[in-house]
Amino acid sequence: MANKGDLLLQMKDVKKRFGGAVALRGTSLSVRAGEIHALLGENGAGKSTMLKILAGVHVHDGGEITLGGSPFISGSPQASIDQGIAVIYQEPSLFLDLSLAENVFVGRQPKKGIAIDWKEAEAQASKLFKELGVELDPKRQARGLSIADQQVVEIAKALSMNANIILMDEPTAALSASEVERLMTVMRNLRGANKAVIFVSHRLDEVFAISDHITVMRDGATVSEKTISQTDLQTVIKEMVGRELTELFPKTDHPIGDVVLEVENLTNAAYFRNVSFNVRKGEIVALAGLVGSGRSEIARSIFGIDSYDEGSVKINKKPLKKNSPIAAMDVKIALVPEDRRQQGLFMVAGVNRNISMESFSRLTGRFFINFKKERALTNEWRENLSIKYADQSDPVDRLSGGNQQKTVLAKWLATNPDLLIVDEPTRGIDVGTKAEVHRLIDKAAGEGKAVLMISSELPEVLGMADRIIVMREGRQVTELSRKEATQENVIAAATTGKKGI
Amino acid sequence: MASLFKRRTLGRESSLGVILIFAVAVTGFINPRFVTGDGTRDLLSATAIVALLAIGIAPIMIMRHIDLSIASTVGFSAWLVADTCAKNPSFTWVQCFLVGGALGIVIGILNGLLVAGLRLPSLVVTLGTLYIVRGAVYVVSNSVDYNAQEMPKSLLKIGQTAFFGLMPVPFFLALVLMVIVAWFLKYTKAGRDCYAIGSNPPAADLVGLKVFRRTFIAYIFSGFIAGIAGVFYLMRFAQVDSTAFYGQELAVVAAAVIGGIGLLGGAGTAVGVVIGALLVQTIQGALAALGVDAFWKAAINGLLLIVAIYADRVLARRSEKALLAQRIKERV
Repeated sequence: MANKGDLLLQMKDVKKRFGGAVALRGTSLSVRAGEIHALLGENGAGKSTMLKILAGVHVHDGGEITLGGSPFISGSPQASIDQGIAVIYQEPSLFLDLSLAENVFVGRQPKKGIAIDWKEAEAQASKLFKELGVELDPKRQARGLSIADQQVVEIAKALSMNANIILMDEPTAALSASEVERLMTVMRNLRGANKAVIFVSHRLDEVFAISDHITVMRDGATVSEKTISQTDLQTVIKEMVGRELTELFPKTDHPIGDVVLEVENLTNAAYFRNVSFNVRKGEIVALAGLVGSGRSEIARSIFGIDSYDEGSVKINKKPLKKNSPIAAMDVKIALVPEDRRQQGLFMVAGVNRNISMESFSRLTGRFFINFKKERALTNEWRENLSIKYADQSDPVDRLSGGNQQKTVLAKWLATNPDLLIVDEPTRGIDVGTKAEVHRLIDKAAGEGKAVLMISSELPEVLGMADRIIVMREGRQVTELSRKEATQENVIAAATTGKKGI
Repeated sequence: MASLFKRRTLGRESSLGVILIFAVAVTGFINPRFVTGDGTRDLLSATAIVALLAIGIAPIMIMRHIDLSIASTVGFSAWLVADTCAKNPSFTWVQCFLVGGALGIVIGILNGLLVAGLRLPSLVVTLGTLYIVRGAVYVVSNSVDYNAQEMPKSLLKIGQTAFFGLMPVPFFLALVLMVIVAWFLKYTKAGRDCYAIGSNPPAADLVGLKVFRRTFIAYIFSGFIAGIAGVFYLMRFAQVDSTAFYGQELAVVAAAVIGGIGLLGGAGTAVGVVIGALLVQTIQGALAALGVDAFWKAAINGLLLIVAIYADRVLARRSEKALLAQRIKERV
C-alpha cells in the first residue's frame, strides 16, 4: 500500500507514432498516491493514446515510464493489470451475459481446490459494491444495467485487482447529475485510500470540483502540469486550445416567426407524460433535465422512431403521422441523435456517403447516383462546417469525435430541414469544436429553422436556448425564458421538480 | 432482478426438458412401442453421435465462433479407422479411438491456427476445412468401402452393449463427457473465459484474457471429439464409405442452438446441448413412430431450428420488458 504523496507514476517525454501520424510528441505526467489527477486536452491531443499505452494496448516508441521507481513493462493488458494499473474506458467493457460478481473477478476468480468458489466471489463482490456505496446484486446479469452502475462494477473490478493507479476515460460523459455526484464520492474515497486516480473529462466544471492536479495536453505534448490552486478555468481553456477562445456560446438574436413544431399532451407511458410545447421559426428551444428524464424519448417520438400512446404532434399546423420517420423527413424534420457512432453514422462508410445519405433524391440522375454531385455536396459541407478529413471516401471511423459529430450535422443540414432536433450535440467533443457546433446551431436558427436541442450540459442550455423546458422523470416541470433561466433554477427544477427555489 | 437472471439461464434447460417429456409422452400415447426399452435404446443410440459433437462444439460456439468441419472430420475418422483396422486385423477398440482422436486433433490444430492464430473468421475457415477434409476422404478412400467383417469385434460389441438394456454405451459416454464439460464450463477459469470471450470479444482482450490459447484449445477439443465421433459412427453403422456423415454439421449446430447456445456466444451449457440433441432426435423418432414420411426429416429439423431461435427472441424481449417495467416502477 502506497503512502500519500508517493510518486506512483511518472511519464517522461513519451513518444508514439502510428505509421506516419505522430500521436504523442513528448508528453510527461507525474501522479502521486492519494490524488485525483485530471488529464485535459482537445480531441486528438493524445489523451487516449496515453491511456492506451498505460493500459498495455499500445507500446510507446520513446521516452520513459516508471511506476513507483521501477520501469513500466509495456505491451500487454495483463502486464498492466499485474502492475496495478486499471483502466475504465469511456464505454464500459463489461460482459453483459455474465453476472456482476463474475464481471468483477473475470480471469481472477477465487478458487476452492481446483474449482471456482462462486459463493466467495459473490460475497467479495457484494462487499466491494457496499464499500462503493451502491448496493448491487452480485448474482444479477450485467445486461440492462445503467451506464452509471456499469461504471461502479468497473471500479469494483479495479479495486478487486488491488490497482493503485486507476485511469478513467471520460467517466461522466453519459451520467446524470446525481450519478456524477455519486461517482465523485467514489473518486474521493479512492483518493482517501491513497490510490492515484487519473481521469479524462471534457466537463471542466467537474474537473475543477474534484481534481487536485491538472495536466493539459495539446497536439501530443504536455502543455502544463499544475495544482488546482495554481490555475483557473480561463487558463486551462487557453492552454487546451492554444488560443483565446472568445465565445463558447455564440448565440445571436434572430427574429422569431411562426410555430413550426407543436407538441400537445404527448404521452408514452414508459417514458413521459402530458408533454406540451412548441418551437417557432428561428428559435432554439432546449429540453433540459437529467439523463433518463425522457428527453431523448420525446425526440424519438416526434421523429417517429418510437410510437406514443396519446397526444399529437403537428408540423406547420398539420398533424404528423405517428411512428413514421419517413413521414417526419417528408415534412423536413431532421434528428441528430445522441449516439453518433451507433445511431448517427455508418462508421465504415465514407464521409461523402454519410453526408449524402439523406439527400440521395437530389443527387440522382434518371436512375443512378451522380457521384459528381455527391462530391460537390460533400465539399460544400466540408467548407461550411470545416470538417477535417484526408479524403472524401475515408471511413468516418477514422475521423476524430468532433469531426464525426460535424459529419452527422452536415448530413442533416444538407436536407435543409425546417425543424432541426439535436440530441446532446456536443457530447464528448472538445472545447474548440464545441464552440463551432454551437455556432452552426445558431446559424441554422438564423436561417429560420426551428431548433429543438437536448442537452445535459447546463452551460450549453443556458448559453444557447431562447426557451428552456425542464423535464424531470418524464414530466414537464417548467418552462423558462432565456432571461428567467439561471443555473440554480434549472437544476432545482430538474432535480426536485419544483418550479421556484 | 436476480430471479430474472436465473429464470433466463436455468429456465432454458428446464423448459426444454418439459418439451422433451411432452414429446415423448404424446408419441408414447399414440405409439406405445416408442417408450419401451427397445424404443428408448434406439432413440439414445441415434442421439449419441450428435450429442457428442454438440458438446464438442459448445465451447467454440460459446466463444462466438463455429466449427463446420466436424461432420467431415467424422467421415474422415470413420473411414481412416476402418481402413487401419482392415490392414491390421489385430487392432483393438482402444487403438481405434487413438487413431480417430489423433486425426481429429490434427484437423483441430489446423482450424485453431487459422481462427485463433490468424484471427480469420471461423465461419469461412471451417467452411473451407469442411471441403478440404471431405475432399481428402474422397482422394484417400479411392472409393473403397468397409463393412463389419473388417472391423474389430471388440469395437462392434461396445456399440451393441447397453446398460440395463436401456442405456447404450456410446450415449453413456456422451453423458460422461457432458458432465465433465458442464463442470469445466462452470467451475474453471478457462471455462468462464469462454463465456467472457463470446460475450464481448474486444473487452476480453482488454482485461488480459488468454484469447488465443482458449480459442486454439477449443478447436483442438472439437476436432478431437469429432475424431472420436467417427469411431462411434463405425460402432453404430458397422460400415463406412467416403460420404459417411456427409452434411450433418448443421444438424449438430441446430441441436446446440436449440439447446440454448446462441450464435452470438456468451451463453449456453453442456446440459442444454444434450437436451437439444435429444429433442431433435425425439421429434425425428416421433414422426417416424407416427408414420410421417422420412423425407420430411430435414424440413422438420429446419423448422425446429427456426422455432428455437424465435423462442429465444421472445424470451429476450420479455426480459427486456421486465427490466423496463422495473425501471418504471422504481421511478414512480
